[in-house]
Amino acid sequence: MNDDEQKLCHELDLAREIPVPADMQRRWHDSIDRAAQQEYSVRQEPARPFHFTSFFWGAAVTAALVAGIGIGAYLTGGPTTIQPNSYVVQDISTVSGAVPGAFTRGLQVHLRDTQQNIASMPIDTTEDRTLLVLQIIQQNRLFERAAEQNSSDDLARVLRAFEPILLRLAANDIAPTDAQALRDQLAFELKIMLTKLERDTSKDTQST
Amino acid sequence: MHTRLKLIVVLLALITASAGVAQSSQTDQDKEDLKMAALEALMHAPSEQALPIVIKVLNGDNSDDLKEGALFILSQIDHPDATATLLEFARSGDGDLQLEAIRMIGINGENEAMAGLIDLYSAGDEDVREAVLEAYLIADDVDGVFNIAMTTQSEDEYEEAVTILAAMDAHEALSKLREAKGPSDALITAYIISDNDAELRILALDGSDTELQIEAIQALGIVGANDADTVLVEIYRSTDSEDIKEAALEGLLIGDYDDSVLALYRASNNVAEKRDLLEVLVVMDSDSVMEVIEEALAGDQ
Repeated sequence: MNDDEQKLCHELDLAREIPVPADMQRRWHDSIDRAAQQEYSVRQEPARPFHFTSFFWGAAVTAALVAGIGIGAYLTGGPTTIQPNSYVVQDISTVSGAVPGAFTRGLQVHLRDTQQNIASMPIDTTEDRTLLVLQIIQQNRLFERAAEQNSSDDLARVLRAFEPILLRLAANDIAPTDAQALRDQLAFELKIMLTKLERDTSKDTQST
Repeated sequence: MHTRLKLIVVLLALITASAGVAQSSQTDQDKEDLKMAALEALMHAPSEQALPIVIKVLNGDNSDDLKEGALFILSQIDHPDATATLLEFARSGDGDLQLEAIRMIGINGENEAMAGLIDLYSAGDEDVREAVLEAYLIADDVDGVFNIAMTTQSEDEYEEAVTILAAMDAHEALSKLREAKGPSDALITAYIISDNDAELRILALDGSDTELQIEAIQALGIVGANDADTVLVEIYRSTDSEDIKEAALEGLLIGDYDDSVLALYRASNNVAEKRDLLEVLVVMDSDSVMEVIEEALAGDQ
């Protein structure tokens, strides 16, 4: 990590106790809910506690707040606790080794949202880019934890691998050409992962 | 007139040439885009069919971007040849391709390739070493990073490894490192990053190195565990060192433990100390500060 990234991570870490704004939580839950809606009536299991601390750049959760969103939270309401959506984090033991469909669909929505955000990301205005990237990291962390809890180690590794790239993209001192290269790389990898997930989902559907 | 004609001819030639270059460049880009799309489409093919094509792309005369894409696809193919190719590129590739191959080994997570990372780390330059640590992080391989932290002779490399362990929330490994290598700035930072108040408490109470003790005391305030204030008050009360006292107070300030500072204020009979504590309460914007000020002005305390 370069100095800039370390500084950023340090700031994120210091601010991790700042509550997450309600509108941001709502956005997460909306995207997850959209994916999980179909399965809601079939399977609803109690939410497992979601440990949303640790992992320093994962603390990007709070970074977004540091960067400005937190001001909104401070002005608009009291602290709230991030809760994982029960459709995303579920007990894999009841699904006989398969990755739960709701989780997969939630992840697909996350990857598609990230793809769109990356594509429409402002390159020249550093602050806007940083803010957007930190929001992406925040969501990515959520799904990475969910992947771990759903025993999808391969997906967790890929999501984890996105984070250093996203952090580089969030850095203030990145040249526009480098930022574009990182965007292209992420766009490609997101597309591949979406294709893979869609392929696997399709196979599962055909085999049942 | 003759000169003007010449100039026009030259300008026309230039315009035609630049249009040609632009067109050629556009054609190249189109070709590259098409190759990229073809690469993406490979994800629909069975691994045994996709694998030789991906390897062909990697060994062919293609752009680095295309090869990097091929490496990512390789990381998603569950086949021994895919792993072997990644390892081969990580060993023999150069520049960004080598670094990408190392990252892909982390994403792939296959044991054999992961085992090959340590040799790459030992033989590699700074970029390679950083990429290897990142690969361990991606694969959540705590042991790999811990081994590097234990064996490296370089302070910078040790710090890097410790930071990665903190990012991985590797509490046990970080505790073992303190036991094996002793406390350090890097470890204190790692304990802050990983919210490890238990380790910070040990260091905050360890008076063998005052500088590190002071850092740990302040860090305890940053992490702000449930009973951190109790520990900080205990340290404040039990020490004769002004520096340690100040650090404990800073820890209470950072952790926003105004009730504890107020308790210290009320318990103190030393005017100078009370003044310092009052200042801290004011800085903390404590709810009780007006009450305390009135008491002080009335001479009650």
